[in-house]
Amino acid sequence: MLAVLAIAVKDLRLALRDRTAAFFIFIFPVFVALFFGVIFSGGGGRGAGKVPIAVVNESKGPRASALVADLRSDDALDATEIPSRAEGEQGVRRGRFTALVIVPDSFDASVLSLFAGGGLTIELVTDPSRRAEAGLLEGKLNELAFRQLGSLFRDSSAVSQMTSLGKAAIVAAPMSDEERSALSTVFGGLDRYSTALDAASTKKRTDAGADTGANADAFEWRPIRVKVSTVLDERKRPRSSYEISFGQGVVWGLMSCVTGFGASLAEERARGTLLRLRTAPIRRRQVLLGKALAAFLACMIVQSMLIGLGQLPMFDVTISSWPLAMLAVIVTGIGFCGLMMLLAGLARTEGGAQGLGRAAVLVLAMIGGGTIPLFFMPPLLQTISGISPFTWATRLIDGYTWRAFSLAEMASALAVLLAVGVIGFAVGTIFMRWQED
Amino acid sequence: MLQLRGLRKRFGSIVAVDDLSLEIRRGEVFGLLGPNGAGKSTTISMSIGLLRPDEGTIELEGEGSPREPGVRRHLGLAPQSLALYDDLSAEENLVFFARLYAVPHAKRRAAELLEMVELAPRGRDRVKTFSGGMKRRLNLAVALVHEPKLVLLDEPTAGVDPQSRASILARVRELAAGGVTVVYTTHYMDEAQRVCDRVAIIDHGRVLALGTVDELVRAHGGEVTVVVERGDEIERMPTAQPLPLIARILESGAATGIRIERPDLEGVFLSLTGRSLRD
Repeated sequence: MLAVLAIAVKDLRLALRDRTAAFFIFIFPVFVALFFGVIFSGGGGRGAGKVPIAVVNESKGPRASALVADLRSDDALDATEIPSRAEGEQGVRRGRFTALVIVPDSFDASVLSLFAGGGLTIELVTDPSRRAEAGLLEGKLNELAFRQLGSLFRDSSAVSQMTSLGKAAIVAAPMSDEERSALSTVFGGLDRYSTALDAASTKKRTDAGADTGANADAFEWRPIRVKVSTVLDERKRPRSSYEISFGQGVVWGLMSCVTGFGASLAEERARGTLLRLRTAPIRRRQVLLGKALAAFLACMIVQSMLIGLGQLPMFDVTISSWPLAMLAVIVTGIGFCGLMMLLAGLARTEGGAQGLGRAAVLVLAMIGGGTIPLFFMPPLLQTISGISPFTWATRLIDGYTWRAFSLAEMASALAVLLAVGVIGFAVGTIFMRWQED
Repeated sequence: MLQLRGLRKRFGSIVAVDDLSLEIRRGEVFGLLGPNGAGKSTTISMSIGLLRPDEGTIELEGEGSPREPGVRRHLGLAPQSLALYDDLSAEENLVFFARLYAVPHAKRRAAELLEMVELAPRGRDRVKTFSGGMKRRLNLAVALVHEPKLVLLDEPTAGVDPQSRASILARVRELAAGGVTVVYTTHYMDEAQRVCDRVAIIDHGRVLALGTVDELVRAHGGEVTVVVERGDEIERMPTAQPLPLIARILESGAATGIRIERPDLEGVFLSLTGRSLRD
């Protein structure tokens, strides 16, 4: 046991004295956590989580202006009103805006001719590569358009105008007498509705003794209401962007541990000190255990350091369960220790270790949440990322922070990482034995 | 102390060690000499337990095979390639290896060894700041940290300055005087001649000659050579009877200078292994 501890302490000491390795293991993860935390919190200059759109109001009428005002006040959109279609299209092409919404100059007039063949017409210009956002915007515009219709039916003069235009339109329209008669009945009803609406508003203003505006208190006509709820309750939402970015920082720290300590056997071989380790009165597995222990401790230190840093008030990283967090940290350490041993077993030279680190470990870290958070990825990539141990580590981190998983919910990730640890250690040991003998 | 019996080791089609048998006695400095590719390193590796012989046995007296970790506790190795951690200090290197061997009071033992190899003033400095000679001395110290019964020194003075070389040779003689058995490999014949009690010359994996330096010289060194200088001319005359020859030369009065060259270990080595270059 003393030999195992001596080897572990020696490896940690050497890692700390290698300034480059120490930077990437202990310092760079903090930079990653802070950088992505600022970016996702909106520190990059955009409204956090909002879709940036450009809006051109060619109409300037009251209905058009009301729609533009709704666009600018919507929580899901970051709308910027710009003077021309050309400028908007350029903004979309250059990626400054996701889409361009054009309210045409005929908007107000076409609204009032709703029953005369007109209707709400809004033009949406999008980047063809951003279909998801285009779908979201189309839905949002439909929502706001219905809201306009709702306000339209609270305005008695607008209802009266629409009805008049509708009546005029059906006179010359090619339809049967029965259809024309049925529509006349509808328009007659709307006329009566308009008159009653106007009378009610007048009475209300007289009673209140103040001009509250036309039909301000009329019912709100919203034929479609979408109730939105999330799978997480209020308690379980990320409280800050750092709850996501600190997980990314941990991923980068773990990656650096794997690549840094994974090369240590190759370095010992090149340095000649592996010869001394093999001729010492210890077994091969003690040497490997010592190296694994060093990597395990480094993984633990990185994770604990970021968790500790996350408790500062400005970062507000919530730990939902400290016992589960500790369990996750330990199991994650075991898992990445195994990955390190596998790398050490496969890499015979320092160059080989660096190559494997770049080709394999870096890619696994990137698809495992090291660059883009897992839930931002397309579904296919999320599925593929399941092969990466980093993915499971990220799920554990999310689990003991903002997702507030129970032990049962964390069980699969814990099991996967334990398996990676055991299998990685075993396979790495076999490869090393094969190489040495 | 160390018995090698009928050792054979093959690497593919190459026979590195071919039926080699040696017995190394307690407390002696035993030289293992041979040209490049003779099988010295393979023999050393098998003796320390790094390689398993294809045939034959190796036994450390009273302990067993060096393949067993417990037996390796009594063996020390100073490899030809320096095996030190450059980013650790000399003291840290010694303490680390002492702990591998479960040496009690590791720091005290490290201090003793630093004094022994004359590195005490630099004990806290990182090894990467050391000269080649200093690194060689530390390399030797690491081999001795656990007070082994037998230590294998593989070209311990390769590439060092004369001062470090003298210091290392002095330490080797001290070790032997203290009862430690030393197996010493070197390409410097004068070193082997100075420090070794017995020498084995091996080539192609086999022992060509074994004995004290004097025995080898008598058996394989050939005759004494009388070198006569006559102005700018030099004549070399091998002879079994140097004194009568010298007397005749002096009587003739033609010599401006006379010296005797005795056969040495290098001569023995070359006569046994040949003068052709080895890869």
